[in-house]
Amino acid sequence: MSEISDIESRITDTMLAKLRERDPSLGPDDLTRPVADLDLDSLDLVELHQQLERELQVKGDLQETAGFAFLDDFSTYFVKLANRE
Amino acid sequence: MSAGIVDIATAKPGRTVDNDHFAAIGLTDEWIRRRSGIAARSWLPDETPLAEVAAEACAPIVTRMDDPSSIGALVVVSTSVRQRVPGVAQKVAELAGLGPSVLAFDMNAACCGFVYGLVTGLSLCAAGQARSVLVCSVEAMSRLVDRNDRQTACIFADGSAAVLVEDRAEFAGFRQIAGCDGSQEALMRETDAGGIHLDGMQVYDRAVRRMAESAQYLFDHGSAPTVLVGHQANGRILEQVREFTAHLGVPFVNRIENSGNTSSASIPLAFAEELNAGSLPAAGRLGAVAYGAGEAWGGVSVDYRVPHPAP
Repeated sequence: MSEISDIESRITDTMLAKLRERDPSLGPDDLTRPVADLDLDSLDLVELHQQLERELQVKGDLQETAGFAFLDDFSTYFVKLANRE
Repeated sequence: MSAGIVDIATAKPGRTVDNDHFAAIGLTDEWIRRRSGIAARSWLPDETPLAEVAAEACAPIVTRMDDPSSIGALVVVSTSVRQRVPGVAQKVAELAGLGPSVLAFDMNAACCGFVYGLVTGLSLCAAGQARSVLVCSVEAMSRLVDRNDRQTACIFADGSAAVLVEDRAEFAGFRQIAGCDGSQEALMRETDAGGIHLDGMQVYDRAVRRMAESAQYLFDHGSAPTVLVGHQANGRILEQVREFTAHLGVPFVNRIENSGNTSSASIPLAFAEELNAGSLPAAGRLGAVAYGAGEAWGGVSVDYRVPHPAP
């Protein structure tokens, strides 16, 4: 359980860092907002995908994550991936 | 196998097109900079023959040589040359002042073309088939893109650059890694209607991975590069590759701001700009990595000694 919390925490930190590249005032509450409402473009989403892969040392499927409507979806996806490794 | 780069020259005779030009298709300077890191690019007049532009890059190198007849081969790399019969390399050889005994040929490996061409030139030297070889990339990507396409019109640009490679005892052997995957041809291709289709997210992802992996290979095999120059595809791609290769501890060149994406010419143009600016020593080891349509990818590490500033 504590390992999952650690993974979730690293994912949250990575996602927040990406959000704050665009708007330093954003906080944890903004992670639940739809991607379309955030100032992120499609390349930001690829960068986030790659950064999460590096942080967790896993390999994801960009075809899948490219369609995510919420940042929470990234979190769920990468938690599952990290726990499978 | 001890060939290296001994001279470099460039030609960007086009007009400068800044981001305001794209307001007509609804793009702002802010958006283009954020999306690509590009502020301005050079576009050639439509009527300028690319053989002339390539020759403009090659001629100063030929002029500086004590014995130009030692150039045994000329590789002209281009994605955007439309002329097929005859190829342009023979005309470039004539215009640049090369003698008749030169193996001159065209090559196309899209944005990876310079890496492929450089490996070819180095291999010819190292095999003893030529004392020195000119490798020239020339591109007019502005003629390939749909200038009303918001995704690609502001990215691509024109220019030419040439390097002279020569076998010298002082050089460490070059190393290369290259490959291709034809099953990925749909990611970047010329469309029947004119213009270039790009699958932006997939290309971004694959370009970053391929260039970072190629750079890692060059550090794991043979003498380590002292500078990395990636294909200047997009500023965002370059910054991500820079992050992925930061642990290698050498400068990673990003010169896209005022050049745009000149396809195969982008690596030698960026390398020359760095030398010109005094940002690099006149001698070192270049690690060049590229990714492009095809898909073709690769990297080469090669010693260089360029005793004069590039023009």
